Amino acid sequence: MKSEPVRFAADLGLASCHTCGKLSPVKSGHCPRCGSGLHLRKPDSLARTLAFLLGSIAFYIPAMSLPVMNVSGLGGGEQSTILSGVVTFWEMGSYPVAIIIFTASVLIPILKIAALAWLCLAATGRFSGTHKKMALTYHITELVGRWSMVDVFVVAILACLVRLGNLMTITPGPAALSFAAVVILTMLSAMSFDPRLLWDQRRATPTP
Amino acid sequence: MRRHHHGLPWPRRDRDEQVACEFCDAVQPAPRLREGEGAYCGNCGELLYQNRPRSLSRATGFSIAALIFMLLAHSFPFLTMSAAGASTKLSLIRCARALSHDGDVLLSWLCIFFTIIAPLALVGSLLYMSAPLLYGRALPGALQIARWFQRSEPWAMLEVFLLGFIVSLLKLGHLAEIHFNIGLWSLVALVICIAGATAGIDRRELWDRLELAVDPAPKPEPVDRAG
Repeated sequence: MKSEPVRFAADLGLASCHTCGKLSPVKSGHCPRCGSGLHLRKPDSLARTLAFLLGSIAFYIPAMSLPVMNVSGLGGGEQSTILSGVVTFWEMGSYPVAIIIFTASVLIPILKIAALAWLCLAATGRFSGTHKKMALTYHITELVGRWSMVDVFVVAILACLVRLGNLMTITPGPAALSFAAVVILTMLSAMSFDPRLLWDQRRATPTP
Repeated sequence: MRRHHHGLPWPRRDRDEQVACEFCDAVQPAPRLREGEGAYCGNCGELLYQNRPRSLSRATGFSIAALIFMLLAHSFPFLTMSAAGASTKLSLIRCARALSHDGDVLLSWLCIFFTIIAPLALVGSLLYMSAPLLYGRALPGALQIARWFQRSEPWAMLEVFLLGFIVSLLKLGHLAEIHFNIGLWSLVALVICIAGATAGIDRRELWDRLELAVDPAPKPEPVDRAG
């Protein structure tokens, strides 16, 4: 029927090395070229992805609700959360800053968490979508993750720059560390996800 | 004068090597490519690998430049801000110090890791591998270093720091007088050089070359350069 049947590495007992990409029999245990352990799929991929994902959701709540920096000056102290910072800049008319912070700190983490959850569901077969869309989603989550660190770096830079004697100082608030945790955990989550699970799912369901 | 042979594929131990797509796991033959070409999966269309032009010399050159700019970016402040008679300077190390000074030691270490250690590991390990590979050699521990290189890649976030820098400037610009220093331009150049160095060489090419250099082939391939 098919002119050229596609052969899959896992069916042949072959595994491509996670580190160097060399294809070798999974039985050998270790990649002959770089020495990394060989697995057909990333070990416990779904469980790890979900665990990191749940961790990041848990950290996302304090990251949004607690103050990300404390501004203390002559007129007493002031604490600002990420969202209140966005609102302040929007009202001040600094639209670019407001948009950058909103995208990097609010939109990207939420979209990333949603995308990873969607991929996990798809990999367990509870959700289906065209593989092109899922491939795109996976690549975007991989690419975009690190850019959320922007707000943490902004706090660090402001803390370094704004220490004008008794006039004004900026110190990082508890949300800064939580936010860094969100970024790191979503990055780890995306790294432990194995996109081949999506294809395994597709192959398992018989196509008419 | 042609010092470089265009269209040379990188050497490889296995003549008829097969490759499995990292995305859909389909096994297919891995053709050797001319420079500038890419191989795509026949099943799902994902990029398998690319033969990037002048890969080794690009990786070497950009990583040497990156190390020099890294030195400059750490020795000079990025900017000096002065307001109300006081002035402060900004540099990566000062940033981390400010964070640890305010009690957030963990955050300070994270910043040091993302902006100082990971970029240094990335560039240093790439130079350690690619410069000897230009002469077909591998220095001791090159395989371990190659694994480090791949692992440190997503954690080097200097370009994100640069965006944070721009955002902070937009925040502070109206509050104080700001002078840019050499450190900032070095940082910009460093980000460009890191991008150039890591985009210069395909991971598979690096590993294929390392494999040959670490352990000269038992069944040697005819040398392409001959003739």
